[in-house]
Amino acid sequence: MASETEAPEISSLFERLLRHRDLYFFLPFILGVSNNSVSRENSENPDQETSQETTSQRERIILVNPFTQGMVVVEGDSNLEALLRGWANKDGQPPASKASIEAMPSVKIGESEDGECVVCLEEWKPGEVVKEMPCKHKFHDECIQKWLVIHGSCPVCRYKMPVDEEDMGKKRDEERSRREIWVSLSFDSSRRTGDSNQVPSTDNEIEG
Amino acid sequence: MIDFARVQKELQECSREKDSSGIRVSPKSDNLARLTGIIPGPLGTPYEGGSFEIDITFADGYPFEPPKMKFVTKVWHPNISSQSGAICLDILKDQWSPALTLKTALLSVQALLSAPEPDDPQDAVVAQQYLREYQTFVGTARYWTESFAKASSLGVEEKVQRLVEMGFPDGLVRSTLEAVGGDENLALEKLLSS
Repeated sequence: MASETEAPEISSLFERLLRHRDLYFFLPFILGVSNNSVSRENSENPDQETSQETTSQRERIILVNPFTQGMVVVEGDSNLEALLRGWANKDGQPPASKASIEAMPSVKIGESEDGECVVCLEEWKPGEVVKEMPCKHKFHDECIQKWLVIHGSCPVCRYKMPVDEEDMGKKRDEERSRREIWVSLSFDSSRRTGDSNQVPSTDNEIEG
Repeated sequence: MIDFARVQKELQECSREKDSSGIRVSPKSDNLARLTGIIPGPLGTPYEGGSFEIDITFADGYPFEPPKMKFVTKVWHPNISSQSGAICLDILKDQWSPALTLKTALLSVQALLSAPEPDDPQDAVVAQQYLREYQTFVGTARYWTESFAKASSLGVEEKVQRLVEMGFPDGLVRSTLEAVGGDENLALEKLLSS
């Protein structure tokens, strides 16, 4: 069972995922998230949206549409929450390349220069050495580094830093090989078809 | 680690500017990881006159991760869940930037109240109503504001008691108060004229 703090977060992620595409009509109910060995089914209680076991290495989400009796099982190695967060945040700017972070020049704050580092909200001290992004916005070295390794864009103007294409490609391949989707569909309780496809997933395929 | 030094600064900024912005933020307890924000409903919208309470929780990575915000006050809006209060707003998700603050995030939420985006809904039912029966939407949103977002909607019992003491029957007092959206003076006028 999901703890109280995790459930709304997960369900809002699902809401966001489902909302994006017409998947909503096919997958209106998320029945359960469980680890590989324990499969949760709870057809008597469709109101219950999610349940989760965070400790397991392999996790499953079971999506059931009670109207068509269709069912989709999403299974993955990695933490599903992180996976879902990845989908939901797919539009976020990827991390800046190491080279581009290192290439940012250090500049000295002038004697009469006003302003602050918008990340930590500390006022500039005269003579302080800070980093300047290509868009000319200045930040403390530590502050901007912490951000750029998550999102490679300027906090102020969203100027896009170069992305490490090679790294991104490698990461995507890794993710692809780690993820798989099991799609099991059954129509009509009297005549069940065990249609079990194993498809390497990409974001596009999942979101329709 | 949450940057509590920054949170402190933000709280100070909010309290300095609370008169001009109308936005209030206060810690829920000694722990600055949970705050309560209050935004006034924008003028000229069905939310006008309401005070909307928002629950704010900082994720561990703040300010590198967005603060989690959701409405505690029930609100009828296409981008806010009428059930859970969850907010659909890009800057609270993938468009977050550490240059944003509590104040600017809350101002964005307030702006969302003025400018719903029914094509990217959080609450499908509300969004459908907004697109298909706009007048009904406005009515419902206003009714929810009256019922849930007004200080006047809190002390109902006291008002009922005062009006009953003036000699009006309890049932009539309640229905009249409801009809005028909880405004005690309007209710009195109406009771006197009926």
